[in-house]
Amino acid sequence: MRVLFWLVGALALVLTACAPTAAPARPAPSAAPAPAASAATALPTPAARPANPEVILATTTSTQDSGLLDVLIPVFESATGYQVKPIAVGTGQALALGARGEADVVLVHAPEAEQEWMAAGNGTTRLLVMHNDFVLLGPADDPAGVRGAPSAEAGFARIAQAQAPFVSRGDDSGTHKQEQAIWQKAAFDPRGQAWYQEAGQGMGATLNIANEKRAYTLSDRGTYLARQSGLQLDIVLEGAKALLNVYHVMPVSPTKLPKVNAAGGQAFADFLVSPATQEVIGQYGADRFGQPLFVPDAGKREDEVSG
Amino acid sequence: MDVVWSAVVQAVRLIASGDPEVLRVTALSLQVSLTATGLSLLVGVPLGTWLALARFPGRRLLLGLVNTGMGMPPVVAGLVITVLLWRSGPLGELRLLYTPTAIVVAQFVLAAPIVTGLTVAAMQQLNPRLRLQILALGATRWQLLALLVREARLPLLAAIMAGFGAVISEVGASMMVGGNIPGQTRVLTTATVLETSKGNFDLALALGLLLLVLIYAVNLTLTWVQQRERPL
Amino acid sequence: MDGAALLSLRGVQVRRGGRTILDVPALDVRPHEALAVVGPNGAGKSTLLQVMALLLAPDAGEVRFQGAPVDARRNPVPVRRRMAVVFQEPLLFDTSVFANVATGLRLRGGNRAVVRERVALWLARLGIAHLAGRAARTLSAGEARRASLARALVLEPELLLLDEPFGALDYPTRQALLAELPPLLAAARTTTVLVTHDPTEARALATRAIALHAGRVVAEGSLEAVLPAAGLLPAAGNSLRALEPADPLRSRAEIE
Repeated sequence: MRVLFWLVGALALVLTACAPTAAPARPAPSAAPAPAASAATALPTPAARPANPEVILATTTSTQDSGLLDVLIPVFESATGYQVKPIAVGTGQALALGARGEADVVLVHAPEAEQEWMAAGNGTTRLLVMHNDFVLLGPADDPAGVRGAPSAEAGFARIAQAQAPFVSRGDDSGTHKQEQAIWQKAAFDPRGQAWYQEAGQGMGATLNIANEKRAYTLSDRGTYLARQSGLQLDIVLEGAKALLNVYHVMPVSPTKLPKVNAAGGQAFADFLVSPATQEVIGQYGADRFGQPLFVPDAGKREDEVSG
Repeated sequence: MDVVWSAVVQAVRLIASGDPEVLRVTALSLQVSLTATGLSLLVGVPLGTWLALARFPGRRLLLGLVNTGMGMPPVVAGLVITVLLWRSGPLGELRLLYTPTAIVVAQFVLAAPIVTGLTVAAMQQLNPRLRLQILALGATRWQLLALLVREARLPLLAAIMAGFGAVISEVGASMMVGGNIPGQTRVLTTATVLETSKGNFDLALALGLLLLVLIYAVNLTLTWVQQRERPL
Repeated sequence: MDGAALLSLRGVQVRRGGRTILDVPALDVRPHEALAVVGPNGAGKSTLLQVMALLLAPDAGEVRFQGAPVDARRNPVPVRRRMAVVFQEPLLFDTSVFANVATGLRLRGGNRAVVRERVALWLARLGIAHLAGRAARTLSAGEARRASLARALVLEPELLLLDEPFGALDYPTRQALLAELPPLLAAARTTTVLVTHDPTEARALATRAIALHAGRVVAEGSLEAVLPAAGLLPAAGNSLRALEPADPLRSRAEIE
């Protein structure tokens, strides 16, 4: 009996000693594609380990889910010696973390919220990185007749007219904000309507609900492509201006909190907009989905971005 | 139902193929939860014994706190610890946020009251005269504790199983203080939630099954020890 | 101050809830003697025993062991290890009989071979060698009592304290132990203090006695002189009762 207690205690101590401290290799679960880092050859030679190597990146769950960061981050780490901790949360939380100085750099895709955030003095700069787009999904028979609508807001208006079931993310995410912006353009407030349901969950779960209910929903193309085979939903509208999902990277200003790793945040931002990385971004997803998920946009003006 | 079957198949495949990510996640889960449970034992058993046997003003208040702690919602514990560990927080200097150590701390906060509370109950079930007899035999304070623990080993083993079960299966605190960072702080529970939110239900179920098997294995071992009939 | 006493109490008082439940101005236990502490239930006998065993610190007064003052609150363990206590209940641990009896020796860090030898010896002396491997919780009352006695005697203590050791036993078991124990104690020349409310027990094991009543010493001296004063003996016309097995509830009724 005594033996057992010592065993458990010893085991606990041994395990504590073996606890991982430094950053191990970035993994990919067997369900995801292997990282393609061949484009890294054009990056600068690895630098000496920086004084403050930890960079906390606040980003969104859909960005993390796309798998792009699993490809980019290891490249950045080996090139610069920084260790990145990506915290994937909702857009609201990501921006809030940045504003508190609890993150060093923020990568989100909610332009209006970002502009407010920058106006409040939270970031040192705001760099356009890339865009992907949203697609309006619906049941194959398209009961609301959305197909052929001239714009995203027109499509939404048709759904409201037909009172067709619609599932929203409802979680204050970038996708949700995008959807809300389109409803605003359509001058219609769907909240409270019986056919409008808020899932309060991530994209994958929301797609499942829409699938079950044969409802319309707004999704980012990447998640849809990944889940396509398991869904009976089709793209009923794509390519409209309001469906573009534009990503910006914003290093957090050290005036917010002296402990912010301003150098690290800036380094990551610079990395994302560098030509070599932009090329990787432009290729990402091609092998898995037949088409790349993102369109690199660094250097363009925001109004130049098109679907 | 076919999604459950495909999950079982996938779970077996994941383990058999030695998928490195799954192994890493499983190992981290075990490491973190066993450490937190072990620490809870080290603190909870002596503390629980003392609370059970000592008499001092405010004892009932303290016991009430411990019993409340048993029902602490993991996500609340996680949130409070996160705020403490923030760079701007009082313990920011420790730079523990988003590390496995932070998860151990959070899980310790969850498990310690459980172990303590159940130890109090276990010790209070013993004959109150037993303590006198042990002291009369010439035991020091630590020897007294060891002998009382041996006497109460059956309910104490249950306390360990309860503490371990609570932390290996929690996700709220691990998610908040760990950040679910791939390769660094992703554990079985947070990985399951992630895969579910991505809609990869069969992978999520497979991970969940793996977690259940793990919990069963640990508890089976402890139960076997608890239920052994040992004359000597 | 009597330097020859093994254990001495001076001015010892224990108070509970505002009442003084024990008041012993002076008490000496002489080496190698067998002292009985007699009195009715509730007289404070067990409290006195606990003070002697350094398990309870008195609110006033002093305890000395072999002339040196000792305090239950300050490092009592070395002195406790020179004594052994047997309580009213056997209070055996949930392990084997052997492990139970060996507990005290193991606490003192005994050598394994020596422990095994001594335990075997005392198990045999108390007639329970055949029970060494048994789980203590499966023993009968008599066997458990023998085991708890063995656990104390194996320590070969300088002072043995017995608190109503045979109360819960049936008549034949009591008689057997009352016959077996005195020779064992005499052979080891162990100083013994026996707390009891049963005159038969007192007679079997002790020669000197003090009587307690409501926490106070009401008599001290030879056993035969003290017993009547303790109010334990039946009235003259009921001599038959003295032969019946001691029943704590009935004795109390007789006294009250």
